[in-house]
Amino acid sequence: MTNFIVNAVQLLILLLAAPLLRGVIGKLKAIIQKRQGASVWRPYADLWKLLHKEELTPKTATFVFQAAPMIGFAVTVVAAAFLPLLHPGALLGLDGDIFLFVYLLAMSRFVISLGALDGGSAFGGMGSSREALIAALAEAPLLLVLTALAILAKTGSLSEIARWTIAQNFFDVSTVHILAFAAMAIVAVAETGRIPVDNPTTHLELTMIHEAMVLEYSGPSLALIEWSQAIKLHLMAALMIGLFSPWGMATGGSLLGLAAAFGFFALKVLCLALALSVIESSVAKLRMYAVPDFLRVASALGILAVIFTAITRR
Amino acid sequence: MAIGWTFFRESSLSELFFPIFIFCLPFTAVLSWLAGREGRLRRAVAWFFAISLILGLVMAGSSFLSGSAINLDYSSHLPFAFAFAIDRLSAFFLMLICGISVFVALSSASYAEHYSAATWKWYWSLLPLFVLSMVLVVAASTVFAFMLGWELMTLLSAGLILIEGDSEERRRTLFIYLAMMHVGAAAVFASFLLFVPHAPTLTFAAMRAIGASLSPYLRIAIFLLSFVGFGMKAGVVPLHFWLPKAHAIAPSPVSALMSAVMLKTAIYGFIRLVFDILGAPQAWWGYLVLAAGIISAILGILYALSEHTLKRLLAYSSIENIGLIYVAMGLALVFQARGLPTLAALALVAALLHAVNHALFKGMLFLGSGAIYQSTKTLNIEELGGLMPRMPTIGVSLLIGCAAIAGLPLLNGFVSEWLIFKSLLNGSALGLVPVFPLLIGAVALVGTLACACFVKLFGITFLGRPRSPAAEQATPAPENQDLALFSMAALCILLGVHPGVVLPRLYALAEALLPNAAPPPELAAISHTLPIVAAAVCLAFLLALALRRRTSRQVDTWACGLPRLTERMQYTATSFSKPLRSVFRAVYKPTRTVEIEPANGAYFPVSISYQSVRTTSFEKTLYRPTVDFIVAAARQLRRLHTGNIQAYLLYIFLMIVALLVVLRFA
Repeated sequence: MTNFIVNAVQLLILLLAAPLLRGVIGKLKAIIQKRQGASVWRPYADLWKLLHKEELTPKTATFVFQAAPMIGFAVTVVAAAFLPLLHPGALLGLDGDIFLFVYLLAMSRFVISLGALDGGSAFGGMGSSREALIAALAEAPLLLVLTALAILAKTGSLSEIARWTIAQNFFDVSTVHILAFAAMAIVAVAETGRIPVDNPTTHLELTMIHEAMVLEYSGPSLALIEWSQAIKLHLMAALMIGLFSPWGMATGGSLLGLAAAFGFFALKVLCLALALSVIESSVAKLRMYAVPDFLRVASALGILAVIFTAITRR
Repeated sequence: MAIGWTFFRESSLSELFFPIFIFCLPFTAVLSWLAGREGRLRRAVAWFFAISLILGLVMAGSSFLSGSAINLDYSSHLPFAFAFAIDRLSAFFLMLICGISVFVALSSASYAEHYSAATWKWYWSLLPLFVLSMVLVVAASTVFAFMLGWELMTLLSAGLILIEGDSEERRRTLFIYLAMMHVGAAAVFASFLLFVPHAPTLTFAAMRAIGASLSPYLRIAIFLLSFVGFGMKAGVVPLHFWLPKAHAIAPSPVSALMSAVMLKTAIYGFIRLVFDILGAPQAWWGYLVLAAGIISAILGILYALSEHTLKRLLAYSSIENIGLIYVAMGLALVFQARGLPTLAALALVAALLHAVNHALFKGMLFLGSGAIYQSTKTLNIEELGGLMPRMPTIGVSLLIGCAAIAGLPLLNGFVSEWLIFKSLLNGSALGLVPVFPLLIGAVALVGTLACACFVKLFGITFLGRPRSPAAEQATPAPENQDLALFSMAALCILLGVHPGVVLPRLYALAEALLPNAAPPPELAAISHTLPIVAAAVCLAFLLALALRRRTSRQVDTWACGLPRLTERMQYTATSFSKPLRSVFRAVYKPTRTVEIEPANGAYFPVSISYQSVRTTSFEKTLYRPTVDFIVAAARQLRRLHTGNIQAYLLYIFLMIVALLVVLRFA
């Protein structure tokens, strides 16, 4: 029962703290760029505002347009339920859930891409076409990274991989982990649509990817999409922490351990947010056709990581 | 119900029912000639066909569930060995054939309406016979019966393709189809004939008894010949050349049958010969099958991505799915060769489940494209668009089909892909070769490309604004069309949410083929998890529904300040796939020509024409040289044909001498 409560609480943290992470990144970027910046709570206010606005739908749109944000939100939430956060365990999980997790994220992309095409304008098609490109090149390295770690941990479950990693010595990190981490960092940037792959704040035709897809959405639907996107960012951060640096997670059920685990998690997410803000403030967005090269680096690293698993274990 | 069940479980009754079922199919053909012009009688033909198929389905189903084989031997009445034996494996494929054919029959009832009276009769007499030929293939237990069905299957499907016209273009395509199928059939037949000196009769039972004791070289030869022969029928790259051509020109319900079921008979043949009859494979057989599978999967989906004709796109995607089935079968062979029957059972279950899944969603997509064609008279994606409000029922079921074929969770395609992934992960954990984890990356690439491909197919065809007057005036499909598509969509969801209904049964089949296997724990795990995930998604969806206010106002899509958007401003299928096509340029090798007039005035051109043609590089590098070589060889052979009778007598004499020499010393 305590297990269930911890699992539920960590899912709630993933969902409810997601907008805060966005706010923190915005604030950190503002500080780096010597600006005042908006409050870290601003994304919550935005969501609240959007949820209470009237929704405008294109005349050509069908039920696909209406249902896409809801389905996208639902599957992102369920994907979050597979992640370990406070302790190496999760609400949902099975041996092999790494594939289910990745495919749930793919499903959210599938429905949003269809919703984008339903608007009948050029932007939606542009966005979903570009998103398809990035997804096609980012998903294989993501699965390679997960596979490499799954082979080392001898399990295909995200929580069990985290549990195995906790039992290892931090200073005993393997080549596989270094390679996989590098690949994962690139993939995480691509999957969450951050600079240098995509710029979440742009509305320029030439550069938009995700924003072009959701251009026709407004009101509560847009709120759901923004929230899912925030959850996805938080989810990727939690995934990186769970796979590469789960130390500090509570292995027992004590309240103090859980509180410490939460503190460690917040600290690690903050580190990732800081890294992302530095990158986003110092690097320019890549040209659309340079993105595949960037993602090929991730694939190459992923392939190397997988090959190194065969060597490390001997 | 219970009484009916025991009724069918009695094997003697099943043995009675099978011939009845077999005779119902040609009888449908006879009925169609009697039906004439009247609508009610015409519908009766379709219903009779559907009901006899349901009879076959029930019979096969009872045999599959109980595992009691049906044996029928007609050899004593005939001069050759002609017998049927329906064991679990046959019953499984028989269920697949009958099940999909029921939907095809329902859909054909309205599809065939637009034919003239004579064509209608041909259609309805060839269709049941085509199904019959496939039934013969999977039910046969002697080589003679198998090859009879195998050849009839090719010829009858060719006949069905001819129904919709016999222009020069179609004849050429059909010639390629027949030629390749006969090369394949020759290879299959040769692999059977290699048993001849060792097996007392060419029945599968006799062949199975000696399969494992044949000399290793003979076994390799049999394996390679069957790999080529069945691979030709299954459409494995590079033997796939005929597939997109033939599937694209057949009537849509026939395309559905060819893609969903006929390709699976090749899978059946391969499993029957390699797993059942030969047994005890070597590991490199598995690696060969794996390699063929992954290459087919990647190239198939890449070609599908660049195709903009509905049926050609679907045909290329069939190559991809067959590739995935081959990947799973290859894994099963590798694991079996390494003495890991439980892992092999998991991989084989993945292959069988993917065969079912592909039959369901590909059949549905082909039937749906038939409905689109009936309504708009075009299959070019670029001319469609906005069909969702105009054909809502087809739209909803095809949406489910597209999501299922893209391998999205909670639909059936995901379950088999997950099983393939898990098998690969199991293989990599064993540390046999670092190939398996890399294959996970390759299969993931196939999965995302399939996602992109079917977002393109569905999004451009059904969403947005109609791109032509034909699409603008599209009308809803007839009811029986809806019935067929909805039932298939429902099955996709059922198998996706609750795979537990089939997985244990498929394991029972795999167990029969793989000695010493134990139930893999993955089957129970995924059957247990997916319903929970489905419930969780529903809960989260309800939460989203509660958050989203119902009221919304309809407005024009923002047009960047222009008066209004036109359909030409939308992304097309070509532009949608452009980024991916340019990334995978090396695969497509397009030939581009840009003509600017006048040639020297680069700044003020009068006209610019642009053409980009993608030829499959196999045609240039593999098929053309092969055909040229055969033609050249035939030319050389023609020199022997002098037309002089003395010369021919000399040939006969030399042949006799040669034979005598061979018989003396061999």
